[in-house]
Amino acid sequence: MPRNLFRCWIRVRGVTLPLFSLAFNLSKNLPTKMTGTDQSSFLGRISIRRNQVNAMEGYHEQEIEDLELFQKQLSDRFAELLSAPDDAPTEAFLSISWIRKLVDVFLCCETECKAILLMERDAAQISKPPLDRLIPELLERVVKAMDICNAVTNGLELVRHCQKLAEIAVSALEQKPFGEGQARRAKKALVSLMSAMHVDDKESSVQKTAERSWSFGRRSGNKDRHHGHYRSLSWQVAKHWSASKQIHAMTMNLAAPRGPEASCLPAPVYILSLIIVFVMWVLIAAIPCQERSGLTTHLPINKHVNWTHSLASIHDKIGEEWKKKEKKGMAGLLYEMQKMEKLGQSLIEFTDSYQFPGEKEKLDEVAAQVAELAEVCRRMDEGLVPLQMLIREAFHRLVRNRTEFLDVLEQGGPVV
Amino acid sequence: MDGCRSGVPTYEGDLHVVAAAHHIVKALGATKNLSDDLRKILIDLDSHLSMITSNIDSKGGRGLVDVEERLDQAERKIMRWETDPMMIWDSGPKEASDYLEAVDETGKLVDGLRGLSVHENRKQKEILHRAMNIFQTAMSRLEEELIHILVRHGQQFEPKNMYSRSIRKDIVYDESFVSVEDEPTKETSSQNCSNDESGECIVDLVHADVIPDIKSIAKVMFTSNYGPEFCEAFISVQKEALEQYFSFLGTEYLSIEDVLKMEWTCLSSKMNKWTWSMKIIVRVYLASEKQLCDQVLGGLGSVSSYCFLEISKATILCLLNFGEAVAMGPHRPEKLLRLLDMYETLADLLRDIDTLFSEEAGSFIQLQFHELLERLGESAIAAFKAFRVAISSNGSLYPFAGGGVHPLNKYVMNYIRMFPEYWNTLNLLLKNQHPGVADQVTKPDYGPDTSLLTSCPMAYHLRSITSCLESNLHKKSQLYKDEALQHIFLMNNIHYLVQKVKGSELRLFFGDEWIRKHNAMFQQHAMNYERATWSSVVSFLKDNNPGSSSMSKSTFKERCKGFSIAFEEVYKTQTSWSIPDPQLREDLRISTSLKVVLAYRTFLGRNLAYTDDKCVKHTVEHVENLLLDLFGGSSRSLRNSRRW
Repeated sequence: MPRNLFRCWIRVRGVTLPLFSLAFNLSKNLPTKMTGTDQSSFLGRISIRRNQVNAMEGYHEQEIEDLELFQKQLSDRFAELLSAPDDAPTEAFLSISWIRKLVDVFLCCETECKAILLMERDAAQISKPPLDRLIPELLERVVKAMDICNAVTNGLELVRHCQKLAEIAVSALEQKPFGEGQARRAKKALVSLMSAMHVDDKESSVQKTAERSWSFGRRSGNKDRHHGHYRSLSWQVAKHWSASKQIHAMTMNLAAPRGPEASCLPAPVYILSLIIVFVMWVLIAAIPCQERSGLTTHLPINKHVNWTHSLASIHDKIGEEWKKKEKKGMAGLLYEMQKMEKLGQSLIEFTDSYQFPGEKEKLDEVAAQVAELAEVCRRMDEGLVPLQMLIREAFHRLVRNRTEFLDVLEQGGPVV
Repeated sequence: MDGCRSGVPTYEGDLHVVAAAHHIVKALGATKNLSDDLRKILIDLDSHLSMITSNIDSKGGRGLVDVEERLDQAERKIMRWETDPMMIWDSGPKEASDYLEAVDETGKLVDGLRGLSVHENRKQKEILHRAMNIFQTAMSRLEEELIHILVRHGQQFEPKNMYSRSIRKDIVYDESFVSVEDEPTKETSSQNCSNDESGECIVDLVHADVIPDIKSIAKVMFTSNYGPEFCEAFISVQKEALEQYFSFLGTEYLSIEDVLKMEWTCLSSKMNKWTWSMKIIVRVYLASEKQLCDQVLGGLGSVSSYCFLEISKATILCLLNFGEAVAMGPHRPEKLLRLLDMYETLADLLRDIDTLFSEEAGSFIQLQFHELLERLGESAIAAFKAFRVAISSNGSLYPFAGGGVHPLNKYVMNYIRMFPEYWNTLNLLLKNQHPGVADQVTKPDYGPDTSLLTSCPMAYHLRSITSCLESNLHKKSQLYKDEALQHIFLMNNIHYLVQKVKGSELRLFFGDEWIRKHNAMFQQHAMNYERATWSSVVSFLKDNNPGSSSMSKSTFKERCKGFSIAFEEVYKTQTSWSIPDPQLREDLRISTSLKVVLAYRTFLGRNLAYTDDKCVKHTVEHVENLLLDLFGGSSRSLRNSRRW
């Protein structure tokens, strides 16, 4: 097998495009504004090296080296993600921009792994053991990941709804003079915000219909029950679909290749599988999503490989956080949402007891919180739509990824 | 008061005007890039207005009392509803307009008082505070009223009469390719839905009578900076209504995994349903929703399109995801027509989509549509290829009993008979597959120019499909040991092929030349059959010595016997053979009769002397009648029946 690989790479180098341009071709169908930020440099380094190798001998070693280089890149990217501060106005751990970076890593990794696996290969090479088992398993995961992408895209709608409610609260709280009327206005928006955040992800349309009866009957005497901002949360993946079950199924048979396999084709399959599972897991933990209860906090990450160190640490960190918060029933670990929840809670307390004209000290304190909430809203306003598009891009990438694998497997011909 | 009568407003109304003007002037003064002259004028105006205001303030006791009275009045009007279980807009137009008036009044008072609060004035602040409180109550109430109106007067329309559920394509073609055994149950294809497809149809999602009410609420809320609340409430209700309508159409939410695992019959009906719901959702529901948004929120800048996008995004994405799932599924041949349906529907809706989501924020949706269209096209082509592969590789281990029309042939021909309906789309998609013939097909009209049709990409592919089919049928014919049956099989099948082509629009694509050639082909097989079967039988009746007048009796006996045995053998086997087409069967019997009966009659006529002998087992009439039993599809035997 290694000898075949050599020949294959010679052919690749002699005739076809460098990897970088392959990556470029794969993503050119999407508008550039959607694509991630630093993919090109990430891949560029490897592809440049590959080109340089053109004239050199010792191809298998080179391939192993490339794989190692790739793992090193991944390791760096995850180390960078791990180093994000827990609480900072920008780029915080699990913030929107952090998640965008994470999805970027996935997109890069996907391109690179696919290139390693498929470029100039034919069905014979990727359909012999153990790949005949590994590739179909990978494709199963890919399909599940697509559904997760859609669930998360949907969940982001809820996050956006929260943002709008928070914006209302901010604009009310910023009013000068700040009277009880505005306090009530802010409170109403904040209460809606809290209930939107704490919508149980199991409550689907059934609950919704029951909730709706309010609007048909006459007004209930209870004036505090304002349903005005009640946003229906139709999960829209499918009945009985469960994000946590999907993750669980995706982790089945996910084991790092051992021995000689670790430096052959099973390695990129494992890398890609692990990254897909991991990224999807993070998305589910961070963003509201259909049925997350029982979401595993354990992913089978092989910690004996160098490149997974940071990834494993990120995993542990999020897992811990999830365990702490899961019981409460919450909108997700997204930094901005957490922040919003905390600020919202505190501001509700303030509006609850507020009496015009209020104490100066308290008002100053609140003003700071309001400014913070406004800042969170601003970051959401900037980041949510691009994130939604990025996840959609990830979805399309998974679709293409699957098609390309199937094409090679079915037609037996090489890709490109 | 007399001295500055002109400068001191006596009515609160004037007071507002002054306050408002002061505001405007201040705002204008803050503008950068003003010319010096203009700035000076503004500064002058500012100081003048300030003077007027301070004048009022100093003499403002009376003014504030007025304000307070007016606020009391408005408050009564607003607060009385807080204890009333009835909704205001349900109670009547008078109540509603009274309420709006009170809200308007309160708003004005708030604005006026705010404009005045340049100097500290406890009383004034207190009134302002109260007014703002009342105002908040009113705004909150308006939001509730809005939701109530939208829900209560929301109208669902029956989709039943719209885009009559795609019966355009025969239900029978839902058969999967593997079940080619099934006989089509319905041969006709009705075309009764293409007429109403182009017409746009806008309905009132909310009863037209309440639109002015909603608009008036929108107006008040937006001018009072409660626009975001209005939007969130409006979006929430309308989004949910759309989702309800979505399930009312019977459209389910399906995960991609579900779709990929779905059985064909189920998937096929879901694809049909998708095509149908997509049209209704986009062309009727969303068009109507867009109109509603524009009616209610038109003139408020991008608010209308923002709300529209928020309302429709999730449902649209859900519909698109099903399309994606279908497009990425295995490219089975039976999917082709459904895929083309989906493709055509989407292609047809692109213009609507581009209009509905023309704003920048909606370009995301537009893009998703265009991507899906592309993907469906690719998928359709893949299914098309799979169809050909399936035809070539459809193998049989055993010969098809009776030599009739093979199910593969039936399936393929009935299937491709539908292709002309997708002429434009298929040409478009296949063009890229065959650049050579691309240039001839750009003309979109379905005109009578038949020469053009026979050279379009679809025609090319159709002929290549039938030639695949023909070679497969040849392969299948080789399974028969009996050469005559091989010919019957090929005759039957090629005849069927030609009939299907001639009897449908396919003929335009295949062309007369093709038909002529294939007519000749099955006729050749008929002749070959006659030769293979009857030459040896009739040879018993041949006169070996044409010169002599008659043969010997023993020869005659022998010949007679030989003929009878051979004939009975043919009878026994070929009654079980089948020629399903009655006309073809008739033709072949006649031509066989001509050959056999004539030879037999001549044979007996020449040897009249021996004909009363027992050795003549069958009379000419018998033979003629017996020949009618051939190709009936059920085996008969003469030896046992002894009927004659």
